[in-house]
Amino acid sequence: MNYFKNTFKFVAIFILTLSFSNISISSEKNYYKDLITDWARIFPDQNRNAAGPKFFKYIIDKEITYKDFVEYNKLYCAVSGSLIDPNSEPDFLFAKEMVTNKKICGNYYKCCVPCSCDIMKYSKVQKMKYQFKDGEKEFFVFTIKNPCNKKDFPNRVNKDYFCDGKKINNKQVYKINDRIVIGLFHNGKRCEKGEIDKVKSHYITGEYCELRNNTPLENLEAGMGDIFIKLAK
Amino acid sequence: MKVKITKHLKKIIFLFFLLIPNSLNANFFEDITSQITDNPKRLSYGVSVTDVNQDGNFDFIVTGFGYVNLALSYDKGKLINIINQKKFSDEFRRTIGVAACDIDKDGYEEIYFLNTDTYSGTKKYSDRLIDFEKDKYIDLFEIEKNQRDLNLTAGRSVVCVDRKGDGNYGVYVANYGGPTRFYEYTNDVIVDKSIELNLAKITGGRAVVAGHIITDKIDVFAANERGANFLYKNDDGKFLDVANEYRVQDILQNGRGTALTDIYYRGRLDILNGNWGGFHRAYVFKNDIFEDIAKPPFDEPSRIRTVISADLDNDGYDEVFMNNIGEPNKLFKILDNGLIEQIPLDVGLEPNGYGTGAAVADIDNDGVLELLVSHGESFDQPLSLYKAKIGSDRKYLRVKPLNRYGAPARGATVTLISNLRKHSKTIDAGSGYLCQMEPVAHYGIREKEKNIKIQIKWTNGKIEELSIKDLNQTVTIKQK
Repeated sequence: MNYFKNTFKFVAIFILTLSFSNISISSEKNYYKDLITDWARIFPDQNRNAAGPKFFKYIIDKEITYKDFVEYNKLYCAVSGSLIDPNSEPDFLFAKEMVTNKKICGNYYKCCVPCSCDIMKYSKVQKMKYQFKDGEKEFFVFTIKNPCNKKDFPNRVNKDYFCDGKKINNKQVYKINDRIVIGLFHNGKRCEKGEIDKVKSHYITGEYCELRNNTPLENLEAGMGDIFIKLAK
Repeated sequence: MKVKITKHLKKIIFLFFLLIPNSLNANFFEDITSQITDNPKRLSYGVSVTDVNQDGNFDFIVTGFGYVNLALSYDKGKLINIINQKKFSDEFRRTIGVAACDIDKDGYEEIYFLNTDTYSGTKKYSDRLIDFEKDKYIDLFEIEKNQRDLNLTAGRSVVCVDRKGDGNYGVYVANYGGPTRFYEYTNDVIVDKSIELNLAKITGGRAVVAGHIITDKIDVFAANERGANFLYKNDDGKFLDVANEYRVQDILQNGRGTALTDIYYRGRLDILNGNWGGFHRAYVFKNDIFEDIAKPPFDEPSRIRTVISADLDNDGYDEVFMNNIGEPNKLFKILDNGLIEQIPLDVGLEPNGYGTGAAVADIDNDGVLELLVSHGESFDQPLSLYKAKIGSDRKYLRVKPLNRYGAPARGATVTLISNLRKHSKTIDAGSGYLCQMEPVAHYGIREKEKNIKIQIKWTNGKIEELSIKDLNQTVTIKQK
């Protein structure tokens, strides 16, 4: 009994001491700070146009847990390559699965509204397995087709980031079945009853996206997504 | 019952002693602002420390933004403005950056005043380079032969650079929205050598420091806004930007207060770099790159202006004073092994202060540093002056290196070596943000510290060593 009492006292004093200490010993990761700090290494030429795939590759190459992987992937826009403020809210949307063409629903973290529309229309969703520090996990990712054969490859995108000649440059970006992975589809799963209606009735993923996605490309004037569309279409 | 009460009382006493060190720390500073004679509200910016009137004592220079530039000299317990000459006081120009160094090799420091009448790009009034001749302060840029390359671009900070290590100081001017300038005497004429030295880049220049950062000559680190930082490696007197290789570009952050300090007490200089509304960095040199080891609360974003690293309380560990504008200041202590501990502030917190600059100097020669904080920008506010509250048992050692011309060897590195540490300090060439500290390496002495010797790495990279027998003194060493 005395042993437990003493242990309790010791733990209480230790916690109390720590709570009044101002020494910085926090080991909690600051994912956003990491991306800010390493930005110049992710984009050595400082061009992040449509370069979501660079972020994805940089993150997956880190020796991290699945939780870290998910958290890092909330902080960039897969379409524009822009950083996203921590604690931003995702859009709930769907995109079609590559093989089955069935709709997959999940959360997408975007920098601005048009990117949600662009990812719904111009990307496909694929299942991916990966071995993290804490074990193998399976999840959905957004992919686009190999753009390296394009004659009209958008000149505002750094082609070297994506391509090694006509092949995908897998030193710079991650690929699955000759498609480039552009970002993580958070909480992705087969759409359930009602979820498709929920997406279609939302003022962004519904009304706004219908308008944007039916506008001819040459008339699009909003968002960095225009560059992405040229890359992904 | 009695036993129970005694038991609880013991706990309360225990808790009281647990809490008391923190509450005592809150009074780290003593407010000695009343020592400043005539201290009206004004818009001030950069602060520098130099011997303005060549009387052998350091003075604080405080710039004025549409207000007079001040030269605050210590006399009988008071800080008094001692200069009222037009060229120096210059009430109608808007001075923000200031740095002093001996650019004409006469053993006395000239003062570079950086004027800025616009936020970015072309400005109306050029900078001033003040020299003291026969009791008169003259502007060397007003002499016709020196007018070819006047700086007519908005700027922020200035730093003195002895790029060849021969005592011939030049001034690096961090401009905003126009090319960086580098002024130096060549054939008795002040010219801009920035193009020749590979420095004429256009950026949002903010803070700049110079010292032994990566080579044995004087390198330059410039913290910029809306663009990558520069780390200029001294390449035989010219410069090569290696910020990318050394991983200090920090492209997405907006640089402000920057200081060189020895974070691990291991005998080399690292970089503290505050970022406006962004993550503050503690760059430590490891495996050929700078690694940011800053953690909360040190790295937490704030409206940072000046960053100063100095041993304010003479305990042998450097404090880091972080002067914020429009939000409370912060104070930290760099402990062993890179731990950075926050010291709660009460005096000096300035929750409503609009800090724009700050500098340290032992202005009253008592062996304890004074901290002068200037305010302005959005609100006119008076200056404040602080000093750490410390016991008389604390010891110190001050080292004042002079170059072969007898001028402060700004950019040289002094290292105190003892049984407890190998602690490097830069002889400040310009730092903080818009500011410059006294040209003295000020060390408090740790408990049980012994076998103290001093090493000086001059601006040419040569090293000189001397043993220290007596403490509580200023050791002046002249370069051979």
